[in-house]
Amino acid sequence: MKHSSNSSNEAGSVRFLPDGVDVPLVIEESLLSHALRGGVPLLSPCGGESRCGKCRVLVDGETRGGGDPGVLTRAEIAAGIRLACRCFPSPENVSVTILPESRPARLAAYLDGKDLAGDEPFLPLSRTASGGNPLGVALDLGTSTLAGALVDLSNGTVLSRATADNPQMACGEDLISRVVFAEETPGGFDLLRGRLLSGADDLVRRLLETSPVPGEVTDVVAAGNTVLSHFLYGISPSPIRRPPYRPVRKEYPPVTGETLGSGPATARAQWRIFPSLGGFVGGDVVAGILASGMHRQEEVSLLFDVGTNGEVVLGNRDWRIACSSSAGPAFEGGEVGCGMRAYPGAIESVRIDPETAAVEWTVIGRGRPGGLCGSGILDLCAELFRAGIVDRAGRFTPGAGAGRRSTERGDGFIVVPREMSATGRDVAFCEPDLKSVLRTKAALCAAAEALLRAVGLPREAVAHVYVAGGFGNFLDLRSALTIGLFPPIPLSRFAPLGNASLAGALGALRNRRRWKEALSLASGTLYHDLSSDPGFMELYQRALFLPHTDEESYRFVLEGEVSR
Amino acid sequence: MALTALDIYKLLPKTNCGECGQPTCLAFAMQLASGKASIDLCPPASVEAKEKLSAAAAPPLPKVTVGTGEREVVLGDETVLFRHEKTFYHPTAIAVSASDDLPDAGFASRLAAIRRLSFERVGQRISVDLVALRCGSGDADRYARAAAAALDATGLPLVLLAPAGPLAAAVRAVAPSRPLLAPSPEDLVPGAKLAAENTLPLRVRARGIDGLSVALSAARAAGAASLVVDPSPVTPREAVDFATNLRRLAILSRNRDLAYPSAFDLGGFPDPFLAAALLVPKYGSLLVLDSADPAELLPLLTLRQNLFTDPQRPIQVEPGVYPIGAPNESSPVLVTTNFSLTYFTVRGDAEAAKVPAHLLISDCEGMSVLTAWAAGRFTGESISKMLAECGIERTVTHRTLVLPGMVARLSGRIEELSGWRVLVGPQESSALPSYLRRLPPGAFLPVHG
Amino acid sequence: MTLPAGPGGTPVTVGGQNALPLLPEGEHPNAPAVGMEVRTGPQELPPALSGAIGPFAGDPAGMARKCAGDWGARFLFLSLAGCHPDAGGQSVSEGAAVVREVLSATPAPVIVGGCGDEEVDARLFPAVAEAAHRPVFLSYAEEKNYRLVAGAALAYGHGVVSWSPIDINMAKQMNLLLADLGFPPDRVVIDPLTGGLGYGMEYTYSIVERIRLAGLSGDAALARPVLCHLGDAWKAREATDASEASWGDVVARGQRWEETTGLACLAAGADLLVCRHPASVARLSGAAWR
Repeated sequence: MKHSSNSSNEAGSVRFLPDGVDVPLVIEESLLSHALRGGVPLLSPCGGESRCGKCRVLVDGETRGGGDPGVLTRAEIAAGIRLACRCFPSPENVSVTILPESRPARLAAYLDGKDLAGDEPFLPLSRTASGGNPLGVALDLGTSTLAGALVDLSNGTVLSRATADNPQMACGEDLISRVVFAEETPGGFDLLRGRLLSGADDLVRRLLETSPVPGEVTDVVAAGNTVLSHFLYGISPSPIRRPPYRPVRKEYPPVTGETLGSGPATARAQWRIFPSLGGFVGGDVVAGILASGMHRQEEVSLLFDVGTNGEVVLGNRDWRIACSSSAGPAFEGGEVGCGMRAYPGAIESVRIDPETAAVEWTVIGRGRPGGLCGSGILDLCAELFRAGIVDRAGRFTPGAGAGRRSTERGDGFIVVPREMSATGRDVAFCEPDLKSVLRTKAALCAAAEALLRAVGLPREAVAHVYVAGGFGNFLDLRSALTIGLFPPIPLSRFAPLGNASLAGALGALRNRRRWKEALSLASGTLYHDLSSDPGFMELYQRALFLPHTDEESYRFVLEGEVSR
Repeated sequence: MALTALDIYKLLPKTNCGECGQPTCLAFAMQLASGKASIDLCPPASVEAKEKLSAAAAPPLPKVTVGTGEREVVLGDETVLFRHEKTFYHPTAIAVSASDDLPDAGFASRLAAIRRLSFERVGQRISVDLVALRCGSGDADRYARAAAAALDATGLPLVLLAPAGPLAAAVRAVAPSRPLLAPSPEDLVPGAKLAAENTLPLRVRARGIDGLSVALSAARAAGAASLVVDPSPVTPREAVDFATNLRRLAILSRNRDLAYPSAFDLGGFPDPFLAAALLVPKYGSLLVLDSADPAELLPLLTLRQNLFTDPQRPIQVEPGVYPIGAPNESSPVLVTTNFSLTYFTVRGDAEAAKVPAHLLISDCEGMSVLTAWAAGRFTGESISKMLAECGIERTVTHRTLVLPGMVARLSGRIEELSGWRVLVGPQESSALPSYLRRLPPGAFLPVHG
Repeated sequence: MTLPAGPGGTPVTVGGQNALPLLPEGEHPNAPAVGMEVRTGPQELPPALSGAIGPFAGDPAGMARKCAGDWGARFLFLSLAGCHPDAGGQSVSEGAAVVREVLSATPAPVIVGGCGDEEVDARLFPAVAEAAHRPVFLSYAEEKNYRLVAGAALAYGHGVVSWSPIDINMAKQMNLLLADLGFPPDRVVIDPLTGGLGYGMEYTYSIVERIRLAGLSGDAALARPVLCHLGDAWKAREATDASEASWGDVVARGQRWEETTGLACLAAGADLLVCRHPASVARLSGAAWR
């Protein structure tokens, strides 16, 4: 719907509260676009596609649109709540309050990763600085989160760690949305690239501010997925989105920060970017392999990186094969109505009494819960299934009972009633949320099975399973196997790795042999494209069940530990 | 049984040298395991590896060709017992018979009838593949003339069912067309010599697997190399049993003495149609039928067309406009992709809404909504093109489209390109019933101009 | 597994085999069984069917007697299509009355099919379950309604047809869901959705074959008899179009189309076939050897 009058740049502005930022009013731009332009933090996981319903704002003044009945309740619309991506300002001044649940929070979580292979002497990439102590920065560039660690290159000590939201999030939560944004929005590529660089700069600034030792950054080692590595290196990620889904390049020769366009703190440093394996398996996974040590063992291992996307690697010291699953961000809080990242206020574990359906939970930090983070969602699903509230097909069983409610989004389970929540709304887990989790877990599990099938190996041959990624440290493995997130492999073979990408980048920073190791392990790891694997859809359908259509194997693995 | 990719990998040099064109040795091993590459592409491979791998790669059921050029018919060359294990490669060849003792006019019209057994289905031509020429006359010259006439009139390769004398005459007339020689069992040895001299394929007919074992030795001793076998069953039940046993001997036992494509002459059979319909799925490589009735051949050829497709292709729904209930000119128009599960789900949920609607199924090569969008196959352009071309603009008076919530971002582009208004539907198809019922009554008013 | 019959009738027992179909190996205690469809509500019959079953339109009990008595159908598939709102909308109690009528008209085993409208079927199945004065099978339970259909069947001692859309995993998932409800496995038949010849039959073929192979190799949840309803064969233009002279006689062709679909299902391993043409019953029974 287009208005014929070209009324841009009329007098007037949009005021964003509580930050108090005024943004010049452009009548055909959504409130979300105004917020983006003004640098106002506003959650928009779907990148303004009107998919997620998370950019909720309270408007004061005349606006058009954004009162979507499918997403907002009638009462909310009447109270002035709108979706910023669908709401357009009128020529009058408008004030917009960003609701608490729509503001990105921040927490130093997801920083620790295990380096199971880090047993060599300290042998840094370089140790001379023109002025002061030589420092190194390890960066993990994640789709949702950036994480970094500062290392004293004279002795290998980690001086500080920091994490931040990836500022690209406002242009799309998933990578494809960002590639599309870069293609279709004028200036989109530069905007996204600039946001990534400034996010990294901010992170480095904070690392230096909190470091007990001053110095000069001489080396940066960055591990990121292929799309982000392309943005960082200044090349278009467009080809990755279309068949045959190949990146423009897989290796990124070292350059100085100045060439890259980074801020002054790292401008004179050498930037090394981990090589990519394929369009959807990037340097973060290579760093993860490096940290797991699976590439040095004779026994066969599986490595899962569970994050905004899910990647899986299978192999040993001789051969490795990797793929990306189409797993959505359900365990990062995306695509789930009550989902959130692992910030204070997020429920991280859940137990349900099967008799009374009473819920117990633990919350990160203090205070009231506002939603569930990945490990909480996983626990909740497993508990709902164990308690018989959800059937194997991922549907709520009929019957009222405690905690059950019919919501606008279908049948739901009230995890936290509104009186006890941080937002004043029920924290409700509904059927579409269940389906979203089911799809994510099916995609991840089927990806691993597709790799096993591609090489012709039975799952019994897998000696170790490494689980990397944000919630890797916190996830309850029994819950994971109860819902079939992983193939049925005995629990004793699993080892959590936490942020293995950052751990791998740190390892390479502290020992130059390991950087070489990373380069060679990348070229010996085969990228397996699941979209052209004809058997994948069937494996996916098999996994689209709780715990799995092959439930016998899960029962066997969990024998005595989980029973229904 | 077949080697796995890792079994093969262990035989390779493991250097990831890339000479084979694959990025790693594992990638090459996967190609070898799926039969998409040959060990010859790996120069550094050891002699032992090459021997092992070429032996494993040879097809367990040999390949026999009849006819030449475009009309060449391939028999055998199969690798699995069940089509879902990989695929059935070479469709059961169907021959329809004509007998040389028909009067000339009758013979000509029989050939014309055979030539008409060719049908267009879903963009493919499905046809009878061969003419089986019976020797009713017993006259060598007449038979040879009939063979030449059949070849001339139909262009189809021939199966020559005849005693040794007429067979030799016909071979002199049509040998370059590479007919299949099917001598009477008592003339096996002269028939086999004829096949050997002219390097033509030979059908060996004998009673049962044991009978074939003896007859095959004789045929091979006479020099015939390209062989198909007819175990001469007398009932459909026996035919299925023989065909299955022959295929199992080839694929499970790798028995080189009996592993040949099977051919069945169903002339004079108690229930030839039933036998043919069972032998298409159950391992018949060549069937000879006396019926030229299109009401029988069309179903048989369609059965063959169905079963000899790649089972790993995603199940797709024919793109087009599908009615939900009994929609009219002001019913909602929904769009989704042609992946069959997507279609079934959306159709089921739309039906549950009890709101009659038009469902547009867009050609996305069998991908689901998000996959198709990510791959650029479900776009503002493709949907607008479909709206303009599928005829829906004549069916409905409104111009309002309900788009899957997952691809809400396409709405602007569709509105711009097609002039349709877009309503963003729910993310999940399961929410369609409540969504459709809650649509305001004015959503699908006619547009004018 | 047995489809129970009424007094004086012959129950249909299928299953129990430990080898692939059509072959003289292993044990096949029971041959596949061929039944016929009896449908309520208005129908437009293609040429091949109108001559054969046209006279029985609107008389389900008479049709049932004819099928079981003269045409050799070993069981009946009573489709209550007439209860669909678009098909004139017989009421649920009228539908249930038809079931009683048919069950009284013949002692043959009966499978009762819903009308395909989710809301109507949600009321129809419980009504049918209650009205049927002898055990029948309800067709069908799918992921969306299995609790309701299986619940109604359990309450009155009936069996269910477990339906899934041409997917072996969904077929198994349905059976696991039914098992979770405590539904006895010997009262479950799998309907994998049968595509008509030329229109997706090959997918059904491979799914049936795989279900059978899985069952034989010890997958308990798939070790159930498979039912193939050949009705979709009559949706093909090739089975019904009289205007294409080069395709041969439409009456013979229609019957062959259904027969060919059925033969492929038998070759794949189906245990129960439902056909619409009387001639197909005899022809397919002739191939249903054990």
